[in-house]
Amino acid sequence: MSIDPRLQALFAKAEQAFDGEAFVRGVMARIDRGRHRLLLAWAAVSIIAIGGLSFLAPAVIEAVSMASSLLPVSLVEIETQWLQQLLAPINSVAAAIAICALGIRKFYRRIFR
Amino acid sequence: MLVGLARSGNRDAFAELVNRRQAWIRNLMRRCCRDAALADDLSQQAFLRAWQSIRQLHDADRFAAWLKRLAINVWLQHKRRNDPLREAEPQDPGDAVVEEHPGIAMDLDHALATLAEDVRLCIVLSYSERMTHDEIAEFTGMPLGTVKSHIRRGTQRLQQELAAYLDTPEELT
Repeated sequence: MSIDPRLQALFAKAEQAFDGEAFVRGVMARIDRGRHRLLLAWAAVSIIAIGGLSFLAPAVIEAVSMASSLLPVSLVEIETQWLQQLLAPINSVAAAIAICALGIRKFYRRIFR
Repeated sequence: MLVGLARSGNRDAFAELVNRRQAWIRNLMRRCCRDAALADDLSQQAFLRAWQSIRQLHDADRFAAWLKRLAINVWLQHKRRNDPLREAEPQDPGDAVVEEHPGIAMDLDHALATLAEDVRLCIVLSYSERMTHDEIAEFTGMPLGTVKSHIRRGTQRLQQELAAYLDTPEELT
């Protein structure tokens, strides 16, 4: 069955006009409330993060220094000097982590986008 | 222009967009849920989501279609949540101002209230929003056959309920 043009005309005639002022105020008030809630949430998270970081600072500094000393370590020991220098950019823990990150990103995009 | 300004975070531009589109969205919601207060609440939710995600709208010319999709999604999610207000008695029409045909609007709302929710949604999108069957199927996620059957049954029901208007076309003029 196709659309009944008489019903379509009836729907058009029944369109209601509204006083939009109060409605617009309501929408904007909800937007403002949402923004305030978001700001409060950010403030709370920031305070917790700052508190947590200051509490954990020594451990974090130690972890960062361990990671930075670990990143340049070679994955495979190469005896030949020139080959070692040639493969240096990919023969390290940092390179392995970077390759893994790129692979995961590509895999994620292929599946979810 | 307004959409572009709203996308850049301009509140006044967005408020003007809300002002221009509110009657359309509120009419759509009221036809869907036959409860003025709930319809206005859902309409506000739709605009709130529009504000939150307007940066994702790349083509400003598609704002109306994008907003309609948001509004329909808000209604469908509300339906899925099975909000207790859903079965509430219809309330007074709030600040609605029916300018010329109060009888038609009331009778149409009454006739729509006799339809099942999914049928009503398909009918409203088809007759009020003038969407094609394919578009309704895409927007609502219902199979095309179901949409067609809902519209066929809903049309027959409305033709019975509103026969007085349909049999005497002068009622519509």
